[in-house]
Amino acid sequence: MGEKFIFKSELWISCYTGYKATNLRSFIDILKKIDSSSIFYHIYINLFNYHNLPVYYPNSIAYWLYKNNYILLAEKISALDPTEFYDIEELRAKLVEILEKNYDEKIKRELIPFYFVKAEREIIECGYEASSLEEFIEGIKQSSINSVFYHLVTSKIEKRTLVNDYSTWLINIGESKKAEAINKLDIYTDTLYGIKQKIIKILEGEDD
Amino acid sequence: MIEEYIPFVGEEVIREIQILAKRLKGIKVLHVNSTKKGGGVAEILNRLVPLMNDVGIETQWEIIKGDHRFFTFTKKLHNLLHMPGKEKIESEEVVYYLKVTYENVNTINTEGYDIVFIHDPQPMGLIVKKEKGQKWIWRCHVDTSTPDPTAWRFIESFLNAYDACIFHMPEFIYENIKIPTYIMRPSIDPLHPKNMELSDEEVEGVLERFGIDPEKPIILQVSRFDRLKDPFGVLSAYKIVKRKYDCQLILAGGFAPDDPEGEQVFKELLNITAGDKDVFILNLPPDSHFEINALQRGATVIVQKSLKEGFGLVVSEGMWKAKPVVGSNVGGIKRQIVHGVTGYLVNSIEGTAVRIRQLLGNKDLRETMGYHAKERVRHRFLIIRHLREYLLLIYKILNSHSK
Repeated sequence: MGEKFIFKSELWISCYTGYKATNLRSFIDILKKIDSSSIFYHIYINLFNYHNLPVYYPNSIAYWLYKNNYILLAEKISALDPTEFYDIEELRAKLVEILEKNYDEKIKRELIPFYFVKAEREIIECGYEASSLEEFIEGIKQSSINSVFYHLVTSKIEKRTLVNDYSTWLINIGESKKAEAINKLDIYTDTLYGIKQKIIKILEGEDD
Repeated sequence: MIEEYIPFVGEEVIREIQILAKRLKGIKVLHVNSTKKGGGVAEILNRLVPLMNDVGIETQWEIIKGDHRFFTFTKKLHNLLHMPGKEKIESEEVVYYLKVTYENVNTINTEGYDIVFIHDPQPMGLIVKKEKGQKWIWRCHVDTSTPDPTAWRFIESFLNAYDACIFHMPEFIYENIKIPTYIMRPSIDPLHPKNMELSDEEVEGVLERFGIDPEKPIILQVSRFDRLKDPFGVLSAYKIVKRKYDCQLILAGGFAPDDPEGEQVFKELLNITAGDKDVFILNLPPDSHFEINALQRGATVIVQKSLKEGFGLVVSEGMWKAKPVVGSNVGGIKRQIVHGVTGYLVNSIEGTAVRIRQLLGNKDLRETMGYHAKERVRHRFLIIRHLREYLLLIYKILNSHSK
């Protein structure tokens, strides 16, 4: 048996950066320089905040564009799946690229302001761990959606990898099929409660 | 005590708060505001302070004392922070504010606390008593985005000595604040008589007491009688809806004894609706929590058609009862309602009427939106989230290296 899996969770508070955009040009300029924790907030935290609602646009940038009648841009930004990134700088570059490529510089109008907010995060240990698959399943059952979100989504950014925490540990204990199935889950289109149940089902299921 | 919230948010959420609270073991926290009764701040502190103590953080709550002259000035300051007006701040008012503040400095004990939360402008001057090593945080419940410059300068003279400040939403923040500025939404308490579960019999009992037919669709707005809450606009929307749907309208609220404008609005509403037996203008005492709760639970569609609004937590109270809310696209209402998902955001009387009709005509839509409305409040606007954010903020501030 390899390393123990330590269950953790992620909490955050929102802090205003002092930056506000009232047109698309200023938005792009701020986006290029804003603290990465602000991109984290608007893309990832919003994914969490709206995970259980059937919203049209899952991140606040896309929703802001939609509210300001930039429908094409809203669609393109909402199609960007943040779970496919492990590097916020790469995500920032992609966002800027989409915006700059698809908007018309000639259109100049005052927009509903966009307030750049950042997340101040704190990772806590939940107080339980797993050394076996059985303990791991029990741990997942006890986990909050914040914990699932951390291990499945945001830990990838911390560790700069495309494989989530759960799958990494499962590979280490020789459960690569379960690991692969969990890594393939579409977090972008389900609620975190639904994802948690799917993980438990994968873990409790027999491998083919 | 905190365990009582497990049915609403789950055991795992409570456990994480307890883990966070353990990190803060041994610290002392003080909240100071201007009243223990009445108003949203007191309502939140009435629950938040016991909850903080319950999770092991020694927390006290003090109020600033002042006379009519003092509070007349702070009321004026509050209004001027909200928007520039004809009134101006006079130098003798500032002197009097400082005099009362210094009197309070001698009676409110702020010594020995690690963290001091000052709520709103009234007790702000207490910062003069800040000790080395203490962290002071200003919790502002007012929209200060477009303040009167003199009012803001007055606030700023104290604000820069604070370690951080908190606002309800970024739209409420004055642009040039130099200290760390956090965003924390207010919250409702699911155990408060306003929000606790009621039986069908209790709900029907209240409706019948007011002569309201529980079988006929009900449109409800809960707000004090104030033109800014646009009760006349709601009435106009109801009249449009009434052409197609046999429904009832309830405008439930109240006005303070020293509010002649509120009384005037109430009387006008009574006069113009006197001929319609399906309209109920209810002037309720301020502690009618059970009745308001029952009316919200008995409503088919809830409306909040304010022309201007602070945060407007009454929207979340309606949403918590699994009701779709049709609300104006202003203030904090737009941060609570997710348009087309938990209700609708509207910009006019006609728009209000259309959305009400849409909801009255479609039970499935009402139920789906109502479900999502309740879930949104469960995740975003309950006091447990508020408590967690306070604890995390305290932790972050105590572990920061500023000042």
